Amino acid sequence: RPITYSGADDDGRRQNRRKLSMPFVSRIRRQTDYNVFPSSIPIVIDNGASYFRIGWAGETEPRVVFRNIVQRPRHKATGETVTIVGDQDPALMKYFDCTRSGPRSAFDSNVVYQFELMEYILDFAFDRLGANGSVIDHPILITECVCNPVQSRSKMAELLFETYGVPAVAFGVDAAFSYKYNQLHGLCKKDGIVVCPGFTTTHAIPFVDGEPVYKGSCRTNIGGYHVTDYLKQLLSLKYPFHSSRFTWEKAEDLKLEHGYIAPDYASEVRKFQEGTKEAEEKTRYWQLPWIPPPVEVPPSEEEIARKAAIREKQGQRLREMAEAKRSSKINEMENELRSLRFLVNQLDQVEEDDIPSFLSDTGYASRQELESTVSKVTQSLRKARGEPKEEPDESEENTDSLNNEKYPLMNVPDNMLTPEQLKDKRRQIFLKTTTEGRLRARQKRNEEELEKERRIQLEEERRRENPEFYLEEMRAQYKEVLERVDQKKRLKTNGSNTNGNQKTGGVGRGERLSAAQRERMRLLTTAAFDRGKGEDTFGSRDEDWQLYKLMSKDHDEDDEQPDSDEAELARLSSRLQEIDPTFVMKAEEESNQTSGEAQRVRPLTEEDYKIVIGVERFRCPEILFHPNLVGIEQVGLDEMGGASIRRLPHDDGELEERLTSSILMTGGCSLTPGMKERLESGMRMIRPCGSTIHVVRAMDPELDAWRGASAFAADLNFLRNAFTKVDYYGKGEDWLRRYQIRYNNL
Amino acid sequence: MGEMEGELVEADIVVPMHLSFKKIQAYEKYPKGQSRGRWKHLKQILQAENFQDCPPHEPNYVNIESPPSTQPCKRICDITGYEAPYVDPRTNLRYANSQVFKAVRSLSAEQVQQYLSIRNAAVVLK
Repeated sequence: RPITYSGADDDGRRQNRRKLSMPFVSRIRRQTDYNVFPSSIPIVIDNGASYFRIGWAGETEPRVVFRNIVQRPRHKATGETVTIVGDQDPALMKYFDCTRSGPRSAFDSNVVYQFELMEYILDFAFDRLGANGSVIDHPILITECVCNPVQSRSKMAELLFETYGVPAVAFGVDAAFSYKYNQLHGLCKKDGIVVCPGFTTTHAIPFVDGEPVYKGSCRTNIGGYHVTDYLKQLLSLKYPFHSSRFTWEKAEDLKLEHGYIAPDYASEVRKFQEGTKEAEEKTRYWQLPWIPPPVEVPPSEEEIARKAAIREKQGQRLREMAEAKRSSKINEMENELRSLRFLVNQLDQVEEDDIPSFLSDTGYASRQELESTVSKVTQSLRKARGEPKEEPDESEENTDSLNNEKYPLMNVPDNMLTPEQLKDKRRQIFLKTTTEGRLRARQKRNEEELEKERRIQLEEERRRENPEFYLEEMRAQYKEVLERVDQKKRLKTNGSNTNGNQKTGGVGRGERLSAAQRERMRLLTTAAFDRGKGEDTFGSRDEDWQLYKLMSKDHDEDDEQPDSDEAELARLSSRLQEIDPTFVMKAEEESNQTSGEAQRVRPLTEEDYKIVIGVERFRCPEILFHPNLVGIEQVGLDEMGGASIRRLPHDDGELEERLTSSILMTGGCSLTPGMKERLESGMRMIRPCGSTIHVVRAMDPELDAWRGASAFAADLNFLRNAFTKVDYYGKGEDWLRRYQIRYNNL
Repeated sequence: MGEMEGELVEADIVVPMHLSFKKIQAYEKYPKGQSRGRWKHLKQILQAENFQDCPPHEPNYVNIESPPSTQPCKRICDITGYEAPYVDPRTNLRYANSQVFKAVRSLSAEQVQQYLSIRNAAVVLK
């Protein structure tokens, strides 16, 4: 199948926007004209959970835009911790150790709670705007969420006043600024509803006479983040083999490129279930890189002959080398033997007492040593020459005499020996016992071999006598042993190998622990309570961690003696395979039933590396309309409009009609193709028959919030809506809680 | 800041330690190793706000939460996304037909829990 990219079914504007957006929306070049702006010009900030945008009041584009996240990795070369704000080029991140410092947000849902991170973000933002005075000497208009808790609001004000020295601060709601901006441009009217699916939350806010009425607003805790996360999880479960490929960023890319909202979920999904042509056309593929394994060509006749010739030559060469080595070794030994024999002869002519001094030059301590060396060399010479070993009974005699030669000190009582000689004696005893042991082991092995041979012959005879009966017997035996092995396995793992049917892993109350689990518990508890001082110092010494080695499953298996039952099982099954054509290994049968893993036995093909995105395309964004698909028990986008109208206190009968005929969609998520149509039809379903429903998307759902704020701050009367440090410290928390700007300046 | 690789300096991605426009620098405010757990998360912030004491007709962060849906709950197959009239009694997963059922039964325990946790239906042993 050819790979298809988003095609004609997408909203054209969406495609354009995406070409500009991907991969980075960021704009972080340091501005150079900061000093051009007098201190009366406010700085405008759209502090969103996904993106941070900052610029000057009155302009239509924010100067600096970046992902609202912070990372504090360690610079590998210097060891210092640095701060990095926004999305970063992965190529540059190699200079940093990011293991302990993933990207973090200052937001919890849509509320700023982490003001250290917020400070790093503002540092970066002001720095890139080009700020260079001793304080930020401009009023600040900054966005916040609907009904922002006063604690968060006050910490933000405090940060701006105390750390950046700003003269005045004003707070506004991003969705409201977007509505006002679009109202200014005629897309919506003074009475209407703004629906804003954001990053982690979605809001519906009614507007009456150009002012937002928060009393009628509602917030569902679902947003673009959840859509991406849903896609990520679904793909990882569908393709567990490739799960490492589905990073959050990749899932977001796929969502942006392929996501759409179906006009009606049920009928759309039926198309896919029935495999219609339309569904095929709507299916998208992501081909992962796949290198086919090199095909092995069977070697030709020539190849084989050539290789054989080479091998033969090599073999010949090795044999020659071995031969040469052997003959040189034999020569050496013959020489040594000759010199030794000469020495022995000489020794015969020397007086008993003079022997030590005579021998001191040669390195031999005594006559016996000399003679034992002689016999050793003679023997190795004989071996090297390839002369046959002596007959067993002869060797018995020889071993005796050899014993006397090799171990002359064995029979000499200890008190007659010098310390040197004692050492020698001990060495000789040791040598003797080891060689004897080796001989004994060899004999035993021979006997066992013979025994085994005899047994096999017996079996064969029995089989030939009565094949049917023999087979039955075999099968019965096999079954028995298999059961025993299975039971043992079951006991060991305590049923934790079963297939998702029980609460696995954890041990509930009343469940019996297997021996292995009991052992592990014991180890853990002794480790925890070993020290006795009341303090847990486990881990302060390196040896402590050896505990986990003891607990591991591998350790257990090593310790067990080779299971006789399992060996028996193996023997029986191999025997049965030989003689019984109908016998199928039990293990194979089992694995065929538990499909998942066994399917991988066949070689992987290109198909396995193709990620299919079909139903997921519209299943994931669907959660904006049906949050209960991901377990969030709240109304979706369409019903929120209805909830909002219900909450709004009003006595004007016509108001509802005016509200539903001016619905504005804003926020990044509203760029999803098909959302406008779906919201309209959704509203139509919940409103009285015949009411006017008109939904329009903001001109630029991502930027209009900032643009609206910028226009608001550019108004001459802006400062009436802002408060100073004096106000902040003088008027108290209650006042701060009730503070709201009036949007009708716009 | 110590020596930084040339490429890094050029890319200029690191926030400078010292910024002239600040009355107090970040490293002065947050000396090393002190920033653990000092910020209240949203849940704690909301508890501290004591919204129950506020007049009910005034909108606040908590009372503007959306209500649950009145529409019948959409039931889709956990694995394929098709409409799912059936539920597997053993695992509580929803499935569309017998083919999907086979796939459901062949999932590992971990996968079952992952599918369930996507819709907040996983069993959590505490």
